[in-house]
Amino acid sequence: MKTESEIRQTLREWIVRTSGKIRAEELDDDTPIIERRIISSLQLTDLILMLERLSDSPIDIEMLKPGVFRDINTIYRNFFEPARA
Amino acid sequence: MNTFEASVEKLCSASIKDYINPYSYLEWPEKIDTEQWSTTPELISLYGTPFYDGLSTAEQQRLSFYEAINFFSLNIHGEKSLIEGLAQRLYRKGNDLVSPYIHHFLDEENKHMIYFGGFCVRYAGKVYPDRKMVFTREYEPGEDDFMFFGKVLIFEEIVDVYNKRMAKDERLAPIVRQINFLHHRDESRHLAFGRLLVKNMYERYSDVWSMDTRERISEYLKNYLQATWKEYYNPAAYKDAGLKDAFDVQEQALQMQATRKHRAEVSAGCIRFLMENGILLEQPQL
Repeated sequence: MKTESEIRQTLREWIVRTSGKIRAEELDDDTPIIERRIISSLQLTDLILMLERLSDSPIDIEMLKPGVFRDINTIYRNFFEPARA
Repeated sequence: MNTFEASVEKLCSASIKDYINPYSYLEWPEKIDTEQWSTTPELISLYGTPFYDGLSTAEQQRLSFYEAINFFSLNIHGEKSLIEGLAQRLYRKGNDLVSPYIHHFLDEENKHMIYFGGFCVRYAGKVYPDRKMVFTREYEPGEDDFMFFGKVLIFEEIVDVYNKRMAKDERLAPIVRQINFLHHRDESRHLAFGRLLVKNMYERYSDVWSMDTRERISEYLKNYLQATWKEYYNPAAYKDAGLKDAFDVQEQALQMQATRKHRAEVSAGCIRFLMENGILLEQPQL
């Protein structure tokens, strides 16, 4: 598995590339990507696929709590930290 | 009685005439041999790419089985949200004319899930999970309903192209052909209803919507069409079929000329309808 900083960097690059609504220098790890509509509900499908790839484990969206895609910090905490614990 | 009412009544009569018991209609074989065709080879997501050409016939057939599981899983998830949305609209104010048909629609969609779920659980022991999520937001009057039926139309029009071809394909396992046939038989009515309703709603609301709203709807449906297609390229199915680097295969296959051409061909009828009625304001890039 990639290191924490590699994962965060991959997420930042993916969000900037996919969204087209934000520049890399404007995106922080606590920028709310859903609330600010930087990522749409349809793009979330691709994000889930990308997270499955990075974490090498399937994601069951029915088990997800609200707000798990809020920002990069929250995504990292929910999808990568448990695997490292 | 106007044309719209007459058409809805006609569809209700056809549904009553075609009513079947989903538990006794199909004869399920005990096992499915994964070394036979379960998806029409030309409809397999990787068909025409080096990933597909590099497989032996037995491997291609194994892939065709997991593609069928993916196709049926997509249908289950699509129909689950369809049933949810239809039930919410049943007897809603302003839906008096369509409510009688919504009853048939709900009944038939439930039966489809019995077929699809029956196949996936019996022969693969699973349904591939859904990855679609919907955010709530503020809508203009009529926009929410219109988007719902617009999405249903796109989803079902693509599925029906697959159903029609697979129902006739004698290379496929008989149970797969039968499921595709039964789905197509009901879907042909749902598609007629969908086109009628989407056109009727757009004519009713588009004059009161601002240009911004019409552009937003067009953009959303265009993105929905692209997102729907991506789900046909499922890394989990590739992995189950024994393909290596399933995520890379998915990413690369989506960019290849052969798969772009396939998506354009299958979606052509649906896109033409949406463009001719002014709903899609530009041709989607698939």
